[in-house]
Amino acid sequence: MSTAPKDFVGSHKQKDWPKHIVIWAFIIIEMFPLYMMFQVSFKDNASFLRNPWAPTPPYTVVETRVAADGEAIVKTRVADWSEVFAGAKPSDPSVQTAVKSFDLSVYKFRNWGFGLGLIGPYIANTVFVAVTGTFFTLTLAILGAYFFARYKMPFSGVLWAAFLVLMLMPGVANIVPLFSLLKDMNLLNTLWALIIVGVAGGQVFNIFVLRNFIEDLPKDLFEAAEMDGASHLAQIRNVVIPMSGSIIGTLSILAFLGKWNDFLLPLIVLRDKELFTLGVGLIYLDGEYVKQWGQIMAAYFIASIPLIVIFLFCMKLFVRGLSAGAVKG
Amino acid sequence: MAFPISRQKALREWKLYFLIVPALLLVCTFSYFPAASAIYHSFFDWSGGDTKQLIGLDNFKRALGDDVLWGSFITVSILIVFNLFKMIPSIIMAVLIHRVKSDRWQYIYRVMLVVPMIVPSLVTLFIWKFFFDPNLGVLNNVLDFTGIKTLLVWMDGLFGWGVFFENAPIGWLSQPDLILPSLFIWGFPWIGAVGVLIYLSGLQSIGAEVYEAAELDGVGPFKKFLYIELPLILTQVRLSLVLLIIGTLQGFGLQLLLLGESGGAGGRGMVPGLWMYNKAFVAGEFGYACAVGMILFVFILGLTFINNKYVRVEK
Repeated sequence: MSTAPKDFVGSHKQKDWPKHIVIWAFIIIEMFPLYMMFQVSFKDNASFLRNPWAPTPPYTVVETRVAADGEAIVKTRVADWSEVFAGAKPSDPSVQTAVKSFDLSVYKFRNWGFGLGLIGPYIANTVFVAVTGTFFTLTLAILGAYFFARYKMPFSGVLWAAFLVLMLMPGVANIVPLFSLLKDMNLLNTLWALIIVGVAGGQVFNIFVLRNFIEDLPKDLFEAAEMDGASHLAQIRNVVIPMSGSIIGTLSILAFLGKWNDFLLPLIVLRDKELFTLGVGLIYLDGEYVKQWGQIMAAYFIASIPLIVIFLFCMKLFVRGLSAGAVKG
Repeated sequence: MAFPISRQKALREWKLYFLIVPALLLVCTFSYFPAASAIYHSFFDWSGGDTKQLIGLDNFKRALGDDVLWGSFITVSILIVFNLFKMIPSIIMAVLIHRVKSDRWQYIYRVMLVVPMIVPSLVTLFIWKFFFDPNLGVLNNVLDFTGIKTLLVWMDGLFGWGVFFENAPIGWLSQPDLILPSLFIWGFPWIGAVGVLIYLSGLQSIGAEVYEAAELDGVGPFKKFLYIELPLILTQVRLSLVLLIIGTLQGFGLQLLLLGESGGAGGRGMVPGLWMYNKAFVAGEFGYACAVGMILFVFILGLTFINNKYVRVEK
């Protein structure tokens, strides 16, 4: 690495490796749930109980024993890690032969099929709610932010205060009346209820951030556009949106994440199983009495895949946006 | 700032108001109206239907004598103290990453921190619920394996807690006395990616010459943290402190999912928000739930006010 002046941040006398060790220790513990989720998703309950920690080795052991009436009993089981190198050990003194063989079928890929069957419909519903909701949240917030940022219109101060007050107001008391409001609007048990409430709830924060951003854009751009006879909508389309791509991207990711993780409102609003979003769906899954952990973990993993895709494509936005957005808010 | 505009020009630009109308309409319908409705209905005996009866302050009188409600405020205060403690690992992590010399490693660590965020928070919660399982759970396995359980049983014998037993698995979520400890352990090692990134962005504003000067004066690593790094991230720490206190006070999703709608064994995990939810959607007493919501609302609003007025950190 270059000897940038930044190297002074760490002391010259101090060694760097202890810090790395501590950071790695934190990160490994932090990643542990992820690891468990992944490795358990390939097991059935029996092999999970036999060996909860490590992934199963790709071997099976066929044990033969002779029962009291002279009949041979053949049993197949998953190999332990100790048997992979040392050869099969009989699990019982009565076992006569134990043969180890390479076998990929110990990995229950079918768990993933089950998992997808369990939560596939929920994911589809959630994608619909999150994508539609994010789109409308951002569209309306850009329009609103433009209104506040462009001119000091009469009453815009009052309206701004009305929005800002909501930032300080705790929303917890709202949930009970919100339920009866949605009931009166005949929106209970619909996905549109989630979308519309989500869009309303996202306005204040997004308008707040976007207004600051649009006000920092060069004024000449707007004046030039106005000279050319551009309407306000044209100015938004041709000046605001191209200039604020990164902030809109970050806000969209935050909005999407929020809607993806939401479970309280869906829990109250949705009744039919066909309409369940991921939040309620997972709660429903958690309530099942007999649990096949492998299938459930596979389902959990599948629930994360859309976020993994977003993460892979917008990692920079993710990391930078989270730190930058936080400073402003 | 926005352009000042003359009255004539504003009249010509009246169409601009159309831009704010949709957002305003939504906010009025789904934020202001429910808030007003909550105040209104807290004076009624109302079970969610069309019939309601004005009972004045009876809901509030009932709330004053409601032991569960005040117990839940105590619980939530304890949880706030827990959460304050849980802020420390994130600060340590941010300072450590900041002090790593190589820029490349700093970036790698940042990315690694964000990776767990791809797991939906609900899934993280359910994985923890699975960790807490008495028989299959990872937590009990780890405690058995490392011998910490023997230590816990010994300490139980010493202090007479009556929660850890030699030959029974630890029932983290089923023992009333273990519910608060479980809520504390939850999320170990308590590193919030967002928090660490916020602190890191604060730390990055420290100039190299400050460190150089400290180096020349022979300031040790701990003093460096105390006198250089901590003061500079105090603004960010304060921000997350405020968000955390308000978030803990009104949050109840964690308790609802981990412990159920009655706050777990013995109701030890009951928090005010959950009590409101329980009264509305389990007991069907919407009017009383609105009153509980109002009381919580006043608490939070008061805290926000005090915070904005008095807790100022000079930059």
